Amino acid sequence: MTTSPPGSLLTAHDLRKAYGPTHALDGAEFSIHPGEVVAIMGPSGSGKSTLLHCLAGIVPPDSGSITYNGHELTKMSDAQRSALRRSGFGFVFQFGQLVPELTCVENVALPLRLNGSSRKDAERTALGWMERLEVDDLKAKRPGEVSGGQGQRVAVARALVTGPRLLFADEPTGALDSFNGERVMELLTEAARSTNAAVVLVTHEARVAAYADREIVVRDGQSRDMERAV
Amino acid sequence: MSPRQWARDLVMGARFAVTGGREGWVRMTLTAVGVGLGVALLLLCTALPNVFAARTRVEDARYANVYSQKVPPKADNTFLIAQADTTWHDDDILGRFVEPEGKRAPLPPGVDAFPGKGEMVVSPALKDLLASDDAKLLRERLPYKITGTIGESGLIGSHELAYYAGASGLKLTDFSPVHRLTEYGHPDSTPEKTDPVLLLMVLVVFVVLLTPVAVFIAAAVRFGGERRDRRLAALRLVGSDSRMTRRIAAGEALAGALLGLVIGTGFFLLGRQALGSTEVLGVSVWPSYLDPSPALAALVAVAIPAAAVLVTLLAMRGVVVEPLGVVRAAKQRRRRLWWRLLPPLAGLAMLYPMIGKGRKSGGFNQYLVIGGVLLLLIGITALLPWVVEAVVVRLGKGALSWQLAVRRLQLSSGTAARMVNGIAVAVAGAIALQMLFTGTQSQYTKATGKDPGRVQMQVDFSDRKPLSGVEREFTGTKGVRAAVAPATLEYGDARRNPKNSNGLTVGNCTALRELATLPSCKDGDVFITRTRSHYTSPSNADEIAVVKPGRQLYIDPSYDDATERGIEVPWTVPANVRVVDARKDSLQDANGLLVTPAALPAKAAPALFSDGVYLRLDPSVPDSREYIRNVVTRIDPLARTYSWSATQEDAKYTSIRTGLFVGSAFVLALIGASLLVSQLEQLRERRKLLSALVAFGTRRRTLSLSVLWQTALPVGLGLILATTVGITLGSVLLKMTRTPVAMDWASVLTMTGVGAAVVGVVTLLSLPPLLRMMRPEGLRTE
Repeated sequence: MTTSPPGSLLTAHDLRKAYGPTHALDGAEFSIHPGEVVAIMGPSGSGKSTLLHCLAGIVPPDSGSITYNGHELTKMSDAQRSALRRSGFGFVFQFGQLVPELTCVENVALPLRLNGSSRKDAERTALGWMERLEVDDLKAKRPGEVSGGQGQRVAVARALVTGPRLLFADEPTGALDSFNGERVMELLTEAARSTNAAVVLVTHEARVAAYADREIVVRDGQSRDMERAV
Repeated sequence: MSPRQWARDLVMGARFAVTGGREGWVRMTLTAVGVGLGVALLLLCTALPNVFAARTRVEDARYANVYSQKVPPKADNTFLIAQADTTWHDDDILGRFVEPEGKRAPLPPGVDAFPGKGEMVVSPALKDLLASDDAKLLRERLPYKITGTIGESGLIGSHELAYYAGASGLKLTDFSPVHRLTEYGHPDSTPEKTDPVLLLMVLVVFVVLLTPVAVFIAAAVRFGGERRDRRLAALRLVGSDSRMTRRIAAGEALAGALLGLVIGTGFFLLGRQALGSTEVLGVSVWPSYLDPSPALAALVAVAIPAAAVLVTLLAMRGVVVEPLGVVRAAKQRRRRLWWRLLPPLAGLAMLYPMIGKGRKSGGFNQYLVIGGVLLLLIGITALLPWVVEAVVVRLGKGALSWQLAVRRLQLSSGTAARMVNGIAVAVAGAIALQMLFTGTQSQYTKATGKDPGRVQMQVDFSDRKPLSGVEREFTGTKGVRAAVAPATLEYGDARRNPKNSNGLTVGNCTALRELATLPSCKDGDVFITRTRSHYTSPSNADEIAVVKPGRQLYIDPSYDDATERGIEVPWTVPANVRVVDARKDSLQDANGLLVTPAALPAKAAPALFSDGVYLRLDPSVPDSREYIRNVVTRIDPLARTYSWSATQEDAKYTSIRTGLFVGSAFVLALIGASLLVSQLEQLRERRKLLSALVAFGTRRRTLSLSVLWQTALPVGLGLILATTVGITLGSVLLKMTRTPVAMDWASVLTMTGVGAAVVGVVTLLSLPPLLRMMRPEGLRTE
């Protein structure tokens, strides 16, 4: 049994997860401090997305422990984990995250409405975040009517709108060109730092990982902290 | 554009469908199974004329009740046959006693050898029934040894209950149900003229049942369309123009439709065998009856692939496939109402000339009926997308699940309307037909004048039975509360060749009270009624003048020209004879002189015979009717036993109605399957999105509710439109038959409720897959 690094917000120890015969995680370790940006890197199929899904409480690991703010995530019920994801975490994915039938402002307001905010309040707050991410002019448009880069910025606004302490981003620039990708990363990291939110960033691009304070490399389901290794 | 280019693109599309990997196969299989179900149902419908013809052929071939024919003399080729039908619970059993009179007597159709006395040949279904545990009472009624089974040529369906029992000594008299024949078969099998209203019902039933099938097929060729559109984008990238792309898409649908034809034929052949071993609403057929008419089958084979191409080309008009993806015209043009009103208005215009025609002004124009009803129903599919769009565009505020659903509907109201089209068309047709059936019911249902609250069963003996024996038999029968068995005999004012003669009814006080209103009654009393029931001139004054107290009359007088001599028992009219009122609802037609048994001289007893019994049953005794039928069979196997009912429906009217119910059950099942596939397909399309929404904490309940709203809104709107169109069509049909338009709201609500129930079941069935798709595994890409 290892103890969490002092002051850490989220810590994972000896995580194991298998999909059939494939061991996606095989004793992975992880920790992150408030306001820190940590990039998880690794080749395709190495287990980095699975690590993110486990850390975020989306997928329960087969074994190991995950501690968030002193609470053991693996012992929480599905409803408790869902509540935590609603209020404490934010998410940005590569594809398929914006609800196509809702307008952009309705998409950004969605997590607040899930938390019980009124539609008016939720959309007012959402618009504020859209301004910060320079997409407020898209408020009445639907996802199908905006570019990929604009859509990702809307997704970042949605991820931050609840003021999460931890932001999970899975290949957030994977579908964007380099210019748009860098702009999204700048806005994402700036916004996160301004709210002291920690960011877990899964990427296979060194250019994107450069925005992180620390890198963790995942290979064959095992993690290696590059900062400590140096 | 050359036909060659068309053909090339269609073939290329068809090839893509086959070589498109797993996705392509899934899509083609979905389409093919959907089209296949529709094709199977269409083929079944094309076979229906054959089913009716085959059943009539068998009924005519085994017909043996010939009353008007001259009785042939006993010969080597004659046989005696008597009807001995019975009923087991609600199932009718066809029964015949047969007795060959010579070696060349023909066998009944489907029978290999005459059963001997105490033996019978039975239908396979009756054999199974007799062998079952709960048929003890039926075994007692038909105690004959089974020596063979009746073949297909002698039965109208695989589940028909029938038997031919061997007999000896059947008596051929003027009034017995025994006939001497030299052959089986209906002497005059020319079809009778069909009632125009019944023909109208048949036409409307066919259109109402087949239109939803056509709508279903149109929906089936679009199964998996969204995934296909993404693949088409790749084609655009390598240089296919938009028209080519549409044709290639149509080619893919064509491949699915062609495979659907093959699968449909397979389904039909399997269904044909399955239908041969089942019974639906009391109707069964033989598989060989279900042979599709070649011309109609050929029409199905051509029309389905053509419809697949046409529907795809039309559907693709609203989709812009660009080289880098599919754009579903983001800013859709608002749907226009004017042209959508044209089909229903044209339908009404086609039906209008037939309004007020009624039953007596000749037949209805079949083409106008079919065209009019079809256009009205198809009008629903044109109007519904407009209605859904017009309503959802005005909706907005509400809970998150509501908002998600409304926004989804605003973005693609066409998809939602398409899902509901089939059910709306079916419900509209059912409402219209129900109105037509309810409105015209009185024309096809006649009052029997019988009160089932008073008597539940009646027995008519084939020959006269001694009264004392009949009363004894029924008094102790289980489930009989009262048995009324009056005896009738003749009396006259002279021993031989009386000048005045009349009928005399003998019965106990219970029996006589069923005929006349008696102030008091005890055995030994005599009554005469002032009137005679059911007579054109009801006054009974002449008879009252004859039946004077103290006058000498003769019971069962003799006549010089009669073959048998009467018993000629002298009887003095007693002093206590009372004039009473005959009951208007008397059980018997003639009821002048009513005498209790003790008032007659003992010598008259041998002349007391009963023609029939009226029975009042104890409803708390299960199987009381079966006990009675067994007693009746013991007394007189050729007696007719029937239950009383206040009304009697025309047999053809009833069979059309039954046909509608059977057909509706198939169509609703088909529509339910179509809805389920569309629903699952839509969910599959949104799998990743659902997983992402769950990942950031959306409650599954919220998403489930949103899916429910997404279905409930268009279904609600569809049912409102269906009710409107259904009531309109029903009113027009009633006006055509000159029947006052009256709303049967209970039926309307029932039909609408059935439609809603189908959707409810589909929604429930789609919930488990929805919950599965909301699992985080949906986020995985590897």
